[in-house]
Amino acid sequence: MGSGVKGFLYEIKKNRILYLMCVPALIVLIMFSYIPFAGVWMAFTDFNVVDGIFGSKFVGLDNFKYFFSANSMGWKVTYNTLYINFFGLILGIIIPVTIAIMINEIRHKTYKKIAQSMMFFPYFISWVVVGAILYGIFSTDVGVANHVLEFFGAEPIRWYSEPKYWKWIIILSSVWKWSGYSSIIYMAAMSNFDGSLYEAAKVDGANKLQRILFLTVPMLKPTIIVLSLLSVGRIFYGDFGMIYGIVGNNPVLAEEVTVIDTYVYQSMRTLGFSYSTAIGLFQSLMGLILITAANKSAKKINDGEGLF
Amino acid sequence: MKEKNRLLGDKLVIGVAYGFIGVFALICLYPLVLTLSVSFSSEQAVARNGYSILPLSPSLDTYKYIFVNSGTKILKSYGVTLFVTFVGTMGALLITSMIAFSLSIKKLKYRNVLAFISNFTIIFSAGLIPWYMVSVNYYGLKNSILALILPSIFSVWNMFLMRTYFASISSSLYEAAEMDGANYFTIYVKIALPLSKTALLTVGLMYALQYWNDWWHALIFINERDLFPLQYYLYNILSNVNAISSGRIPSGASGNITLPAETVKMAITVITIGPIIFLYPYIQKYFVHGIMAGAVKE
Repeated sequence: MGSGVKGFLYEIKKNRILYLMCVPALIVLIMFSYIPFAGVWMAFTDFNVVDGIFGSKFVGLDNFKYFFSANSMGWKVTYNTLYINFFGLILGIIIPVTIAIMINEIRHKTYKKIAQSMMFFPYFISWVVVGAILYGIFSTDVGVANHVLEFFGAEPIRWYSEPKYWKWIIILSSVWKWSGYSSIIYMAAMSNFDGSLYEAAKVDGANKLQRILFLTVPMLKPTIIVLSLLSVGRIFYGDFGMIYGIVGNNPVLAEEVTVIDTYVYQSMRTLGFSYSTAIGLFQSLMGLILITAANKSAKKINDGEGLF
Repeated sequence: MKEKNRLLGDKLVIGVAYGFIGVFALICLYPLVLTLSVSFSSEQAVARNGYSILPLSPSLDTYKYIFVNSGTKILKSYGVTLFVTFVGTMGALLITSMIAFSLSIKKLKYRNVLAFISNFTIIFSAGLIPWYMVSVNYYGLKNSILALILPSIFSVWNMFLMRTYFASISSSLYEAAEMDGANYFTIYVKIALPLSKTALLTVGLMYALQYWNDWWHALIFINERDLFPLQYYLYNILSNVNAISSGRIPSGASGNITLPAETVKMAITVITIGPIIFLYPYIQKYFVHGIMAGAVKE
């Protein structure tokens, strides 16, 4: 035991400069990631400011029970989160993979370059800006969507007071914003593929479509699986910036698009710290379980290589 | 005959590829062009004809109007954003590159422990509320410009990205310097950093984009107008508009809020994207580089 401590101190002393260089980053992690764990206790109490975190009354799992009771929005926001993330995940694979495969078929250099630049651009703008742009499309009087509807003789829609459309507006916005980015990852994978396989297939008389379906897609499978597992691991996490940037504090749309993250933020003000901490903890635990499971499956599929 | 069919089929695939990529690329750029064009249109024309992809009776009036009416507010927000982006990126690069360098040194005994301490924060967190409480109650971040800088000054993902770059530098270079009596900080400054300029630029740009586009920390920590970053300034304008368009806010309450004109909203949006549009052609390749490096596991 004593020699263990000694060995530890010896190592720290010997490489003190290297360890010192880690200190600023560690301080940030301790301040913003580790110290907050103490506050998790609030989830099991009925927190009030006077008694403080550890003085407030212990209530066990009551906060969690309320979250899943009929009169809270718990099930609803969990459903919204999973719904938006699930369809975002599916389209977020299909479209970028298609883009990567098709870009690969384009030989015209300038066309390729300009198209790639255009598709990557949405990644660079904030969700607030996306929200502003969507307003230009869906605003009732001046928006583009209603002009198009009018052109085809349909009745204009008051988009901002019709909650039912917004889950899909959000899903498609996220696909729009991330597809260029994700396709780069698939292109990186494709650049490592063995060209001689394609030559051999060509000699055997396989056409382009067959080469895509029976060579490229199977070879992309590991990358697709790893990226999907990463998304599955985060399926309980909503994108706060996306929801708030697009929908803002519009009370009519709230019911359809409130996800766990925005619900935590809102209930901090209305339902108190203890309750919102409990929801946050529920979310983190689900995340921990899923991401650990995802990592295990990734290791199985990728001969020992995990996600992180 | 078979060969001819095959060539025809291949041509069809290529045609579809050109078409699909072209259409998707246009969809990605269309909203931006729309925004730009409305910001250069005259307000009356937009009110009459709606948003249009070509500027309607083009004019610079909107931009003039904004700078006369809310020029100081916007300039202040621009100042906040520039300050946060610059200081944040520099600080983040220093902090990130130092730990990434240390963790790339194979003989460092506890590097895996430190990597785990970093990694763990990605997979498990205490959640928003405890994080918010310590930030406000213990670190005094409410209405402090530090609230826009400190919480995001160290990204574990970026650290691992940088570590991959550092790890690709041959350790014999370090050993030679050590023989000459250099300590590891000197090696980091004199050898590792100069050899990793692309990595520094890549990670630096990633941090800069994150700081430039951040408004969430402002939403949570800042209510003082003088400290609003640009994105949050835009967010405030839009969220009022958005809430009113829902039709749920009683007319009495909305009476006090004047809705900004369409062209004004779009012009502020353009101002917010600002530098990104101009820098985009030059910085794009570094992001592609970073994403590819991150995708290929070390």
